[in-house]
Amino acid sequence: MGKRVFQAPVWSPTATADTTALANNTFMAIGATNATSGLLVQEIEIGGQGSASSPMIMMFARDSTLGATLTALAAPNSDGPMHTLGQAGATGTLTFNFAGTSPQRSATTTSARLNLSFNGFGGIVRWQAAPFEEWGIVGVTASVSESSLSSFTGSTPANIGAHIIYEAYNT
Amino acid sequence: MIKTRYGRDHGYLMVDHRNSPGIPEWMARMSGYDPALVREGKRFEAKTMCCAHCKVHVVPHPQRTERASCPKCNHHYICDVCDFEMRQPDYIHRPYEKTVELTLAGNQPLGTPPMLTP
Repeated sequence: MGKRVFQAPVWSPTATADTTALANNTFMAIGATNATSGLLVQEIEIGGQGSASSPMIMMFARDSTLGATLTALAAPNSDGPMHTLGQAGATGTLTFNFAGTSPQRSATTTSARLNLSFNGFGGIVRWQAAPFEEWGIVGVTASVSESSLSSFTGSTPANIGAHIIYEAYNT
Repeated sequence: MIKTRYGRDHGYLMVDHRNSPGIPEWMARMSGYDPALVREGKRFEAKTMCCAHCKVHVVPHPQRTERASCPKCNHHYICDVCDFEMRQPDYIHRPYEKTVELTLAGNQPLGTPPMLTP
């Protein structure tokens, strides 16, 4: 399907505990649309835009409650192919930051999550997966079918910008 | 692809605070960073190790040498949580690829089904 970039240039995460609904525009969520689709997350980059020191515990984690009644991404947020010849829409993939039913981060100790702490005042954090070691999202089953980037309890909020590079597939 | 002790290549993590006040020590330890390298003016880079069973990526502690691996996954690294699970007597081997297969087949291997009652 080709690599795609889901990005949100300016947003402000709020410190939210696990299994608590994430407020709209305080998260970036990515998931599969149906039982036969999936995607591989290959890179996450977050850049701090705060105006004062803002240590933030950013989590990319699986969602135990999936987002529902989603609102389509609005500019300047975007989700598009990295290659100019790629198709505009990603079949089988959901990317969103607004939802009628907000996603909730899983608290299961056997569920994977990435802890990407950094200071939102000028800090940058970037994670890349090796080939065949990507973060997998598949199907329509909580918690394997959706993951979200959000801020964990104990963070000091600040504006950030972030992108998630992924590759979608359909079986 | 270069083979490593744990089977495959590693991921990469970079935390750049060269123009930032950095993060407190407790937060650094919570994230698995070296606190001295995420202070103001520092840049932290690390390889990350991917668990074959749950796909979590961890920042390896440089002073730790003993890590779990799964003989059924070509001795690929597995995280401590999955290592504990693997040591249970009723454990059924399930690499992440198997989870994907089961999910695509509609067998709900993890979590809660999207609809509990029809």
